[in-house]
Amino acid sequence: MTTLQLKNIVKRYKSQTVLDDLSLEVADGERLVLFGPSGSGKTVLLRLIAGVIDPDEGRVLIGGEDMTAVDAEHRGVGMAFQNFALFPHMSAFDNIASALTSRKSSKEAIAGGVQKVAKLLKIDHVLSHHPKALSNGQKQRTALARALVGSPPLLLLDDPLRNVDAKLRFEMRLELPRLLAAQGATVIYVTQDYKEAMALGDRIAVMAEGRIRQIGTPAEIYNSPADIEIARLFGDPTINLLDVVPQRGPDGAFVELSGVRVRLPGFGAEIVGKECVLGLRPETIAFTEASTLGAVPVTVEAETPLNEKTVTLALTARGREILVSRPAGTPGPTAGPAHIAVNGRAAFLFDRASGQRIRPSEVTSKRNGEAA
Amino acid sequence: MNDTALSIDNVDKFYGPVDYGVHAVKRLSMEVKKGEIIALLGSSGCGKTSTLRMIAGFEPVSRGTISLGSRQVQTLPPVRRNVAMAFEGYSLYPPLTVRENIGFALKASKLSQAVVDEKVASIAKLLEIEDILGRYPSSISGGQQQRASLGRALIRDAALHLLDEPMGQLEPQLRAVLRGRIKHYIKERGLTAILVTHDQTEANALADRIAVMEGGVLQQFDTPKKIKERPANLFTGTFVGEPPMNVFEASVSGSGTGIRFGLKDGVHLDYHTSDFSHPVREALLKRQKVVLGVRPYAVRRSADGVTGRVAVNQWLGDQTHIAADFAGGTMVLVEHDRTSLEIGQPIGIRLEPSSLHVFDSESGNAISHGEELA
Repeated sequence: MTTLQLKNIVKRYKSQTVLDDLSLEVADGERLVLFGPSGSGKTVLLRLIAGVIDPDEGRVLIGGEDMTAVDAEHRGVGMAFQNFALFPHMSAFDNIASALTSRKSSKEAIAGGVQKVAKLLKIDHVLSHHPKALSNGQKQRTALARALVGSPPLLLLDDPLRNVDAKLRFEMRLELPRLLAAQGATVIYVTQDYKEAMALGDRIAVMAEGRIRQIGTPAEIYNSPADIEIARLFGDPTINLLDVVPQRGPDGAFVELSGVRVRLPGFGAEIVGKECVLGLRPETIAFTEASTLGAVPVTVEAETPLNEKTVTLALTARGREILVSRPAGTPGPTAGPAHIAVNGRAAFLFDRASGQRIRPSEVTSKRNGEAA
Repeated sequence: MNDTALSIDNVDKFYGPVDYGVHAVKRLSMEVKKGEIIALLGSSGCGKTSTLRMIAGFEPVSRGTISLGSRQVQTLPPVRRNVAMAFEGYSLYPPLTVRENIGFALKASKLSQAVVDEKVASIAKLLEIEDILGRYPSSISGGQQQRASLGRALIRDAALHLLDEPMGQLEPQLRAVLRGRIKHYIKERGLTAILVTHDQTEANALADRIAVMEGGVLQQFDTPKKIKERPANLFTGTFVGEPPMNVFEASVSGSGTGIRFGLKDGVHLDYHTSDFSHPVREALLKRQKVVLGVRPYAVRRSADGVTGRVAVNQWLGDQTHIAADFAGGTMVLVEHDRTSLEIGQPIGIRLEPSSLHVFDSESGNAISHGEELA
């Protein structure tokens, strides 16, 4: 285990700034996920921590020691890549051992280390195979084993499950936390899959355009996204985003859906008349009876069952699309007119111009400030 | 009135000499009704794409017949089958804009240009490609090409629509809404569609019935609900379902009033004979070994259940995946709320008899689902 600190990292390629004054602290034994779309700078950042590329500005500290000028092989870092990057002419055993041979360990120590990690990753029966004789899953496990075998205090995993099928990805998602915990390493894990990010990260750093846009626990990111884009990247089906202009009501701000008022508890006069985007997670919307107070009439367009949930596409009276999701097996309409209950308390409000989230509490304090 | 849109009868596909080449599709028979959406689902090499290409006319059948309506088509060239297609290798015409590509499909329909333009605009809006209608195929992304190709197929009024991995390259944030819109579009017009996919989420979301294929053999052809609740065999049971079905090898033994499944590590699951119908009891007790399957969202936590130990607790926003060490293996549970379970904490696991799928340990064929025979 060790700590990692990145201080004001800048990396440019020609005129393009790919990492823009980025700072980050990772605690001893923490699993930090770097999450973001391709081109957001995740992989560059990872390679920079590994020492494969150098920053133009800023410092990399591992275990409190400045490693900015230290070679990759002396940083005590293990790394696994999404494309496995195995040596084709070497057996799985030799591929894994290659991480140790540069350190002049004894033959017995190497064999013991490889066996142990191979057993952990359930590839001990294919150690003599060459990569081309391994399944994708076995290749990926071999690559992981190579990263783990030297028990590096800092482990960098670059989207290791990207190229394996859905089933194996799920299996590994359950297995990895145990493996990594047994290893005791501090882990930086890159992924583009939000489920993987939430499942594996103690914290998630959401990256965009070379910066960290938001960093927090999975619950903080999901329940309190900083902006529209982050809200959109987490959740399946995707969050509903509706252009709204909140109005003033007798008991606070509200928006109208199909001509029915949906109250926005916690929001006051400051958002009235403002161009906003309302964010409704599909699982916070429920089908309900027409007689329910505040029920919003909709037309069901299509029901698209997933495995463990059912997703329904509904239209408001003005033809706005709303996705509703509910646990599979629970009743709901499949077509035609229906009603939904929208929980204003679970709704997000974003500034349409900036995309930034407007938090209910901020509004309250602003209101107090204005009163004074 | 004949409401069969497509029937495939005893079709074999060999690559290479018949009976000696690679047997890609084996004795396939299936019927598709007008207005149905069918998914051919399987992993690569299962025969789904060969089947699609034979229906389209891009691959000759080695044996058997394919009929559209009452007309046998297996010897007709693709253009004479009245089938609309969106798939790889059936690409957009490079010298035409996206608008022209989509509109081109209506050339033969003798519609006025104004009507064609309106139809193109409407399908483009549905697929969110309005802003690229004036662009040429070479200047748009793979995902956009895929949507343009899908638009070109959906705009047509054909006897059958064949869609190959129609949404594979879409950004995930668009998929849920597009699935809903496409399903509504197909249903509203009463089109008959067959989509080929390796993505069970897509198959489940769109299809009225799913044909699960493996090794060139049709494993099961049923509604998504039936496939989930009554998988025909261990392959279908474990292939369809996310997270995958939990499976455990078990011995079976009976006493006067009970049935006992013996799992690894001395764990046993005891049921009362009245938990199963008489024929199920008989079928179970005839065997010494079976494979037990239970869907992750059907596993219940209960103080009087068998003890497992929490290994993983992963909250994904709208559901929680819990993995517990159980009977020498892993039991996965899906719950819809966030749980505060700690790693290492013991939990009681209860498998309701109604949630048990039992498979023959040799053939893999289903013996029973809940209290009913398979």
